[in-house]
Amino acid sequence: MDEDIGQSVVQLTINGESAAFTVPIRTSLSDALRDKVGLTGLKQGCEIGVCGSCTILVDDKPVRSCLMLAVQASGCRIETIEGLAGNGKLHPLQASFQRHHGLQCGFCTSGMVLTALALLRETPEPTREQAREAISGNLCRCTGYETIIDAIVDPDVMSDPEFANG
Amino acid sequence: MLSGRAAYIADLPFQDVLYVAILRSPYAHAKITGIDVTAAAGHAGVVKVWTGADVLPKCAGLMARMDLPGFVPTIQPILAHDIVRFVGEAVAVVVANSQAVAEDALELIDVDYDELPVVASIESAMAAEALANEAVPANLVYQGHRCQDDVDGDFASAAYVASGRFINNRVSASPLEPRGCVARYEWTNGQLTVWSATQMPSFLKTMLAIHLAFPEQRIEVITPQVGGGFGQKAHVHPEEALVCLLAIELGRPVRWIEDRRENLLSATHAKHQINDMAIAVDGNGRFLAMRNRSSTDGGAYNCLPWTHLVESHVGASTLTGPYRIAHFNDESLSLVTNKCPIGAYRGVGWSAGHIAREILIDRAARRLGLSPFEIRRRNLVDQNDYPFTTPTGLVIREGTFVQTLDRLEQMVSYPSFRERQASALASGKLLGLGLCIFNEVSGVGTRALSFLHIPVTTHDTATVRVEPTGKITVTTPLVAAGQGHLTTFAQVAADAFGVPLDDVTILAGTTRNTHGFGTVASRGAVFGAGTIGRAAEAVKVKIRRLAAHLLQTGVDQVTLSEGRVHLIGHPDKGMPLADLAGAAYFADATHPPDFDPALEATAAFDPADVVLANGGHAAIVEIDIETCMVRVEEMFAVEDCGRMINPMIVEGQIRGGVAQAIGMTLLEELVHDGEGQLVTTTLMDYLLPTSIDVPDIKIAHLETPSDLVPGGVKGMGESAMISAPAAILGAVNDALALVDASLEDFPASPQRIFDALERAAAKNAIPV
Ligand code: FES
Ligand code: FES
Repeated sequence: MDEDIGQSVVQLTINGESAAFTVPIRTSLSDALRDKVGLTGLKQGCEIGVCGSCTILVDDKPVRSCLMLAVQASGCRIETIEGLAGNGKLHPLQASFQRHHGLQCGFCTSGMVLTALALLRETPEPTREQAREAISGNLCRCTGYETIIDAIVDPDVMSDPEFANG
Repeated sequence: MLSGRAAYIADLPFQDVLYVAILRSPYAHAKITGIDVTAAAGHAGVVKVWTGADVLPKCAGLMARMDLPGFVPTIQPILAHDIVRFVGEAVAVVVANSQAVAEDALELIDVDYDELPVVASIESAMAAEALANEAVPANLVYQGHRCQDDVDGDFASAAYVASGRFINNRVSASPLEPRGCVARYEWTNGQLTVWSATQMPSFLKTMLAIHLAFPEQRIEVITPQVGGGFGQKAHVHPEEALVCLLAIELGRPVRWIEDRRENLLSATHAKHQINDMAIAVDGNGRFLAMRNRSSTDGGAYNCLPWTHLVESHVGASTLTGPYRIAHFNDESLSLVTNKCPIGAYRGVGWSAGHIAREILIDRAARRLGLSPFEIRRRNLVDQNDYPFTTPTGLVIREGTFVQTLDRLEQMVSYPSFRERQASALASGKLLGLGLCIFNEVSGVGTRALSFLHIPVTTHDTATVRVEPTGKITVTTPLVAAGQGHLTTFAQVAADAFGVPLDDVTILAGTTRNTHGFGTVASRGAVFGAGTIGRAAEAVKVKIRRLAAHLLQTGVDQVTLSEGRVHLIGHPDKGMPLADLAGAAYFADATHPPDFDPALEATAAFDPADVVLANGGHAAIVEIDIETCMVRVEEMFAVEDCGRMINPMIVEGQIRGGVAQAIGMTLLEELVHDGEGQLVTTTLMDYLLPTSIDVPDIKIAHLETPSDLVPGGVKGMGESAMISAPAAILGAVNDALALVDASLEDFPASPQRIFDALERAAAKNAIPV
């Protein structure tokens, strides 16, 4: 498919491992990660950069992967939700979302968790207002946000020695 | 879900799958005079192109009707043929080897349209100079009344009549995951498997069987993880039928995942009503009578199954709410327009009428110098009135209305709010307080639907099996779209057998084993508890019989707790449930005479009456006079949904519903121009509330268990969208009243607030 369209090889690091794939140049990073790499944890709620459900970390910064072309990610270090939980255990931040009922349908959750992770790495003790601000570009239609904020500011997240392994 | 591994419809992998893109009408009303698909069909990678003419012989369209006198059914074509009736209606479909190719090929389809006159508003539908859908005479799908009391006397004698014309905005439920469906047809065994992000899998299966004339026993509908529904996914959509027809035709899996634009254009809209309402009040603030005329801008077709009636018609049923209003006179009209069909969205037809009612009550209170709490207290049905029959025939036997009001009054600390409001005004800020007290027709089954004048029979089933090792397997048809039902259901079964939650597994997500109407209308908790509770009881009868036989006692002396089956009051005299189950399965010698050892039962449930939950909301808003922006400063909720199986889940429903209420009242609006063009087709124009818009919410619980549902559960999934919108817009009007302004046209966007302030300024500037 798409044989007549220019293809490009993308080399990058995904969740700590180097990876490479070939995609048509017009392919968004979100499509490439979902369709080529099989990382379907990122969701697509709008595909025009508004909803935040496709958020991943690119070189530590939260990025809307639907707005970025896959080729632009060449050489970058990418983190997705699949890199977080390991050995049958949730990452402390994910466990906090679960404890606080910070998700219902779960569609926004991977974007929320990665956005929050970036915040916590920079600001280990965020206030509620900082957390609220940080996730203001991520839409959630189910929770009303309050319990997501509860999950982010829970001090048990940062005090868990497993936090840094995320 | 948290680990990113839960599979939603777009995440499911399929071998050999084909991708669908749908061409949608750019016109609100037009005749299709020609379609040329040659170029698209010849495009590399395209497997099939269909137009309406290809589909028509296979399926006439989705027929939606209601067995009420005078109701006009409609048929929504799977792909439009001859005529398109709304912007976004499906006109042609391309199936290709990739999504990108399918979308590219859409551009190669040439359609000639002859524009027809457009019916773009309730007013033009009523004028009926043009018809939006020629199958509907005078553009009127249905006109009905709940009550035709004579109210003229009450209005003539009233000390004050509060009245207004309330124009509610058209909105979209907008689940974060758009719709999607995949179908696979296996010709070797004739099996059609359908994966759909639906809230109503069993109903979808039956409707596919009927509409496609396909043997129902060979259809399985599987629901993956669903990324929110809120009613929008509680319909049968034409696209679902289309995908199935394509799969049958092509013998390969066919996948349709819509994008956001498609969702806003063509997934059911909601809430678009005009209510002309008046309440007659005596000098003591007592309500004498209510009059209402409600009109729904229903779109071009009836949705399946709810039809246009899901708005004004259903709304009328509880319009007098928990208030003693002796006389009620109403009329509801459902009109076709050249817009996307109206459908179910959390709170359905109730939201708009509640907004009108509570704003009018506040207006009366201001006029009579009563507090908003006091005027409601004087009119609420209370314990002494039970059973109280409302004018529409709803019998209220229970409910904590006055307690709810008292609790809200404490929570907002009313006297200090008024002080705060006065000092804010002095510094140029408008603060306002609004509230709403409601009851919710929950756990909607046959009785509730019949009360709503929606003549539909529903029931659900569940199967409960005790495994040989004493573990519990439950099969349910209900879908979890984020309401936390699976945990709730597991809890019901765990409680029934006295075992830890971990010993229970819930099988859901396929129509293969059980039947049900769907996870809609606050049904999940009620029907889950009802079906599972009843099936568990049937199994427990056998467990008790076997245990009594082994313990040489009477069956009524045996109970189950802490994982054991034992004599009541003597946990030591008995055995682990696992041992008893083992005996049932493997030790024939232990059985009493004529013992049927199947530790499995399927039971149906449909509540014997309307299950009524109740509660209330209060909102405090601030209007910035400079920017005309409304900010919700504080929100309060009181909820009585009977026994709470899991308070965290109940509160999650409240918070999510309140956020949607904030969106609907202040931000969200599907805007059509005079030609029926939808102007708001992205989330940049259709504004969903963000974390900045939604404050933390203060919640209090009351618990009046239902005696109609095992476990005392009541549903509450709709509640916040029934009542919180009224509280918010009541608060907006309370704030505006400080400067003698008011707002009856929603949402309360900055432009509308600006206009309201201008109108008030102009009015006050007129010299007397
Ligand atoms: S899908 Fe990328 S922001 Fe919505
Ligand atoms: S949990 Fe459903 S969108 Fe956030």
